[in-house]
Amino acid sequence: MTFTRRLILSLAAATVLSASSYAAVAQELPRNVRLVIGSKSTGGDTYQNSAIVAEALAEKLGINVKVDAVGATEAFKALDRDSRGTTLMIFHDQSYLGNLYGVQGYSNPFEGYKVGPTVAINPGNAYLVPKTSKYQSMDDIFAAAKAGEKVRVAIQPGGVSEIGFSAMKNAAKVLSPGSEANIVAVNTGSQSDKNQTMWDDLSDVINGSIQANEQFTQLPEDDRKAMRFVWITARPATLQQAPAQGMGNTTRDQMLKFADPETKVPLNDSENFTFDKEFFFLYNQDMDDAIVAQIDTALSEIYAAGEIQKRQKEAFFIPNFLPSAEAQAHLLAKRSTYEQVIKDITSN
Amino acid sequence: MGDLTKVTIDFQSSHLLFPIIIGCVLAVLGLAIVIRERSRIAVSGDHWRNIFSQMNKFQFFGTLALTLAYFSLMVPVGDYWPNTGLGFLLCSIPFVFLAGLQFMHTRTARSVLILALVAVCVPSLIWWLFTEIFFLTLP
Amino acid sequence: MPFFEFITPLFLLLIIGGTFVGIIFGAIPGMTATMAVAVCLPLTYPLGLNNGLALLLGLYVGGISGGLVPAILLNIPGTPSSITTTFDGYPMTQRGEGEKALKIGICASLAGGIISLIALYLFAPALADFAIRFSYVEKFLIILFALSVMGALSANLLIGIFSGFLGIFISLIGTYDISSGGNGKHRLIPPGLEYWLDSGFSLLPVLIGIFGLSAILQEAENGMPLGLSRDKVRIGKSSKFSFSVFKGQALNVLRSSGIGTFVGILPGVGGSAASILAYTNAKTFSKNPENFGKGEPAGIIASESGNNGLTGGALVPLLSLGIPGDSTTALLIGAFTLQGIQVGPLFIGNNPDTWNAMIFAMLIANVAMFIMMFYAIRYVALIVTIPKHILFPIILMMCVIGAYTINYGIMFDVWTLLIFGLFGWLALKIRLEIAPFIIGFILGPSAEVYFVKSLESFGDLTIFFTKSWIAVLLWVLILGSIAGSVFINRRASQAE
Repeated sequence: MTFTRRLILSLAAATVLSASSYAAVAQELPRNVRLVIGSKSTGGDTYQNSAIVAEALAEKLGINVKVDAVGATEAFKALDRDSRGTTLMIFHDQSYLGNLYGVQGYSNPFEGYKVGPTVAINPGNAYLVPKTSKYQSMDDIFAAAKAGEKVRVAIQPGGVSEIGFSAMKNAAKVLSPGSEANIVAVNTGSQSDKNQTMWDDLSDVINGSIQANEQFTQLPEDDRKAMRFVWITARPATLQQAPAQGMGNTTRDQMLKFADPETKVPLNDSENFTFDKEFFFLYNQDMDDAIVAQIDTALSEIYAAGEIQKRQKEAFFIPNFLPSAEAQAHLLAKRSTYEQVIKDITSN
Repeated sequence: MGDLTKVTIDFQSSHLLFPIIIGCVLAVLGLAIVIRERSRIAVSGDHWRNIFSQMNKFQFFGTLALTLAYFSLMVPVGDYWPNTGLGFLLCSIPFVFLAGLQFMHTRTARSVLILALVAVCVPSLIWWLFTEIFFLTLP
Repeated sequence: MPFFEFITPLFLLLIIGGTFVGIIFGAIPGMTATMAVAVCLPLTYPLGLNNGLALLLGLYVGGISGGLVPAILLNIPGTPSSITTTFDGYPMTQRGEGEKALKIGICASLAGGIISLIALYLFAPALADFAIRFSYVEKFLIILFALSVMGALSANLLIGIFSGFLGIFISLIGTYDISSGGNGKHRLIPPGLEYWLDSGFSLLPVLIGIFGLSAILQEAENGMPLGLSRDKVRIGKSSKFSFSVFKGQALNVLRSSGIGTFVGILPGVGGSAASILAYTNAKTFSKNPENFGKGEPAGIIASESGNNGLTGGALVPLLSLGIPGDSTTALLIGAFTLQGIQVGPLFIGNNPDTWNAMIFAMLIANVAMFIMMFYAIRYVALIVTIPKHILFPIILMMCVIGAYTINYGIMFDVWTLLIFGLFGWLALKIRLEIAPFIIGFILGPSAEVYFVKSLESFGDLTIFFTKSWIAVLLWVLILGSIAGSVFINRRASQAE
């Protein structure tokens, strides 16, 4: 009889113990985490970045992290459904730019979600012209716009690809009010579509990237595919951290010529416009702050160890870790700059 | 002549152009079908009565009901063990067994046993393969 | 021979292993070559570039080829690109000629793979230069040409075309996709369903719903039949395969592989268009087009050499422009950047070693695919002898995995499966035609983008006729195909 009672007691105690330890565990990341990303491609930069971070995080915390390329709208939905930390998200500036440009399916990530740490930058966002183009620099483009010439810029509307275009319009307005009307968008889709508009003579300038377009800049002038950089939007400090040999046959020093401060796209009278595509975590609004702290700590240890930076640089990413609080402040400031740019060019 | 063929597309509303064209074509084709097949459409009530009278209702609606239950339960069950794919596994086993049982012609003890074995082994193997080896997300 | 020092036992093993796994992925309804490559992509980082590519290319070739197995045996296309294989493959299985149909498909796959590989090896840069002459206008006309097969596939011309347009209409539900050039706005979504339908219906769940689930419902309605008997599959009167089937098909094989290769080269036209176009062509030029859709070997040959022709073709823009030719090669870009290798117009010149390794890997993968499938197929064909009460629930379960994983874990895709399973069952009852419907559904989104963009960029309706000599040539083909289907239809109704 006593035996049974003792058994029941110990069972009950064990239950309480395991329940309380479960509660303690609940403030940490669970054993199996799903990391959704805002891109549908498993070959693109968002996926690669997330895979590198996921792997490091999984190893550090001894958990499983699975990266799922579900795309922006589905990723936000998945995040909405779960506050236990079983679902995390990584995405880049598109998350708030989509909202600023009013794309359907994008809400303000700073309101409905928690913004987590930044992890890396893709410094590649660039604008190119045909190699035979008469525009040698951004200055030529703004001068042409001032002279009343239409400059057609191929972009994918509604986000990262459009922000540089908006900046160009804004710069034209700063330099010569009214000339921004001559900078017009050619709305198209993927990188191949953007290139194709150049070859079909439907655009004068295209949005592209160092990674995808560098080799085209190495082609001889008589090749109709040949291109030339006119603007790299990255901050100079970001580009400085890129490997010195650059990418392909374009060295870092050559790249810097196309970026601020050597190439000027004014934001206002005193500053130049820059844009870095930054990758960062997004969490469910109600996710426990202990988990936020856990990820922050784990990542700062990972970055302190220094291995992850090597992986990132190999794939031409710039390591860029900011813990949640700093990341939030930084991204909010960035957002409000761009919000102003978009407001300025659409008002009049 | 030249001006007649000119068109300007407003990008902001261009998402409606093609659906409208296709919608109009569909309406015209639909009308043509209704006119040509009016005699057949008039007796379509019989056609459906016929279908339902000859249908194996037990199997047809049973399959539908089982599938509905299978799909609906997968996510809530999986939610107890997030990101492990157990929702899929725990729902698939009874689904394969019950669906198989319902499709079976003569239910002998032996054939039911074989089915039960298959219902346990195949989903487990598949689950193991896809979540452990290929690292895919299942409900 | 320092030239081939990348060939190591591991290299060969990875190709063969990759091909094997690829075939399995392709053969499971709902799992695709793209999925196989995506799953294995992270494994390639530690393998290094050449070995990693060996694995991925094996998966690619295997995945595209494996799709013919369920298409022929179960009438469920294993991958979207084997959709046209079902048209003639399944009727042959029903006649007890499953094994023969499979072998025809495998041989055609090999031919398509090798021919496109030759094209890739010899002409990659030149072909890429030709491909960039295709602007929105020419791409629209290519899609239109592929769509023109709808008529030829219909038993009743009017209803068939209606079904095709219905397919296009349903494919437009959701968002006008920004990443393919749209403005990202919703349309055709019934009020209240925005949460579910903002991305529309995905192709793969629709496909396996219409083909897989609706077939199960159909059988349930009639009361589940027993499996085919073993004898019927093995011996069926005319089921013995011999290479004489290919007599008189050389032109078909060449043309279909060529079409597949070329569609692969054109960025953005999409992989499934390859086999549809090849099939359209084969039927248009055939002496007895009325046999197509009733178990005509030439149909399987066209479809399978077309979709395997894609494999070499899709690598052309990838390796000479840095632009993927289909969704699977888009993933290969990831494999390159993981290793810090740029792909673009200078790739082949800068990385001769990797280039040779890729060509060699593709060659081995094709041969390995052929040997594995040709000699194992007799046992695979026995799938149809498994009692249906065991087979069908398992197929349905596999369909669920395929639907759920195709977009990396979206439950609505599983519901899509059920919706279109019911739709497929209903369509049969009200005599809607499935083949044109599905072709409309596959090609609808690209038809839209290229049509609207053509007008948006050029602002003139005449551009479709005046853009280039390529456009004119495409119109000739389109008119030929339409005339062909009217002719077939008339002959069929006279015969009745």
